[in-house]
Amino acid sequence: MRILIIEDDDETAEYILNGLRKNGHVAEHMSDGRDGLMQATRSHYDAIVIDRMLPGLDGLTIVKSMRERGIRTPVLFLTARAGIDDRVEGLNSGGDDYLTKPFANSELVARLHALTRRPPLTPVETVLRVADLKIDLLTRHVMRGDATILLRPREFRLLEYLMRNAERVVTRTMLLEKVWEFHFDPKTKIVETHISRLRAKVDGGSKDRLIHTVRGAGYVIRRPI
Amino acid sequence: MSFAVLSRVVRTASFGLAFLYALLFAISVVILGTIVYLSVQNAVDRQMATRIDAEIALLKEELRSEGRSELAREIQERTSYFHALEYLVVDAHGNRLAGNLPSEANGSGWRDIRVRDSRSGALKGFRVHTVLMDHGLRLSVGDDLGPSENIKTAFLEALGWSLVAFILLSLAGGLLLSVGFLRRVDAITCTAEAIIAGDLGRRIPVRGTNDNFDRLSQTLNAMLDRIETLMESLRQVSNDIAHSLRTPLGRLRQKLERAAAAPGSSMKYKRAINAATAETESILDTFSALLRIAQIEAGSRQAGFVEVEMSALLENVADAYAAAAEDQGKTITANLAPDLKIVGDRDLLTEMFANLLDNAIRHTPPGTNIEVSLANGGSRSIASVADTGMGVPPDERERIFRRFYRLERSIKTPGHGLGLSLVAAVAELHGIELAAEDNSPGLRLTMTFPKKIDGPHGNRA
Repeated sequence: MRILIIEDDDETAEYILNGLRKNGHVAEHMSDGRDGLMQATRSHYDAIVIDRMLPGLDGLTIVKSMRERGIRTPVLFLTARAGIDDRVEGLNSGGDDYLTKPFANSELVARLHALTRRPPLTPVETVLRVADLKIDLLTRHVMRGDATILLRPREFRLLEYLMRNAERVVTRTMLLEKVWEFHFDPKTKIVETHISRLRAKVDGGSKDRLIHTVRGAGYVIRRPI
Repeated sequence: MSFAVLSRVVRTASFGLAFLYALLFAISVVILGTIVYLSVQNAVDRQMATRIDAEIALLKEELRSEGRSELAREIQERTSYFHALEYLVVDAHGNRLAGNLPSEANGSGWRDIRVRDSRSGALKGFRVHTVLMDHGLRLSVGDDLGPSENIKTAFLEALGWSLVAFILLSLAGGLLLSVGFLRRVDAITCTAEAIIAGDLGRRIPVRGTNDNFDRLSQTLNAMLDRIETLMESLRQVSNDIAHSLRTPLGRLRQKLERAAAAPGSSMKYKRAINAATAETESILDTFSALLRIAQIEAGSRQAGFVEVEMSALLENVADAYAAAAEDQGKTITANLAPDLKIVGDRDLLTEMFANLLDNAIRHTPPGTNIEVSLANGGSRSIASVADTGMGVPPDERERIFRRFYRLERSIKTPGHGLGLSLVAAVAELHGIELAAEDNSPGLRLTMTFPKKIDGPHGNRA
């Protein structure tokens, strides 16, 4: 992927650039808002990471101008504040996701992957498959091989989100937001508990494990190699 | 009264007002006086003219019926009367026949003349009417202007004095009013200055008369009370922050120092770095929790309030925690009245209940039952999170909502002591009454929501 980073703090930018390059992406960096907007309109990118507070032009204005010019590139906002209003403001201005500083690169990369996910070939997917695991979104039926798996509603939503992002790491925070609609960090290990229960039901009776924990990053569901 | 005080009095609003009234009133008195003066003058003049003309008519008649010598004799006799008019009769050649007026009185028509008195030497004014009579005789009859001028002078004097008296009185009144006004303004200024100087406890004296000034003072006092509370809590918070961050920062420093001092393998260094990172993480967590609370308390989120399905929200939160509670040997039971709605911020309300459950799970022993309930209590909905744990001593129940407050026995439990502070901030933002009660055994936290919303989508329960 080709990713543009508009961030005025050089150390943060360096950290992000390193993280993205290590994951095999091409990343470019602009430290001024005005230059960033120019670069974003001149060249094509798969995703753009924009800091909210920038010299020259602030992040919200950049995204608004981009959207006005018809540039639909997915945008991820970085905010330094623990701003409780930032998420809503950022999403309203045309951003697609947001991340609060400080953050880990694994979180940023996982979110960028989710943002740039290609749309499904069929307009509406009703059955998702990973190896011999199959879930039917209409009947809510889950099968592993020939065995039916009974899931509670929340476990089903969790599995559905993992399978929609199959082969890509999803972070704990992403799961909290998408599966539980929690936009904060609960002290109780909610995600871990549910993952372990889901894993017991999905992988318990099989020798091939599908749900994996990626240390320091998150979880992934993938075919056995 | 010193000059400085006087000059301040003159500049007050009430003195200015008194002065303006006095000026307006003085102008109206002057206008009224002029009108009265003119009509008095007119009446006096008319009366004088009537008297002179009546005399002229009488003397004309005398001349016609009695003849010249008789007229002269009559005039001579009349000049000796008390308050007599003055006369002059001259013949066609200008020779004086009778009368005591000087010869310059002989002219034509009405005139005012001034004559030097032969005895006193003073100038005297006369109004004279000269007419032509039979046989070419010219008769002039005059009246002393003195008395009528006296009346006019007296009137003007009276008017002048009353004007002076009035202006003095109204200025004095204005002065008194302003001094009273200033004294109360000064009291407010004094209080404000004392507060600026650092005496935050000072309040403006209230007289108890319930006038405008009293109400102003009461409002200002209420504002000062609020400011004092805020200042106090700010001070408390800064102290708390300083103290709570010192400990982990100190620990962080110790860890780094120890790692730097001891020669070790790269494995050992890595462990030290990981420990330091974890410590930093926890400090950052504390910071962001504090920032969130501050932002919630700032109240800007109220602008985004929408109708929130409380029953669904609570079910989501209770369900999210059920599995984790179960793993720790605790149970969560939900007892939720359906379709209850309130106006608020969905994310913050979710976080509030999540924090309550975090708290209940973390600070209770295995075997505890945690009950989440939502009930329709008449005009207001009531939610509660109750556990059957060890509870909180009565004298500590209010304090658990304070920042960084932790019970003696939970000092060892991980956490930064901000969870319930956030709950309190969210409750405050929504106008929710938050109370900590005894669940015997255990702790019950109840949230009484503000009055329900009305309307087609309002509460049906």
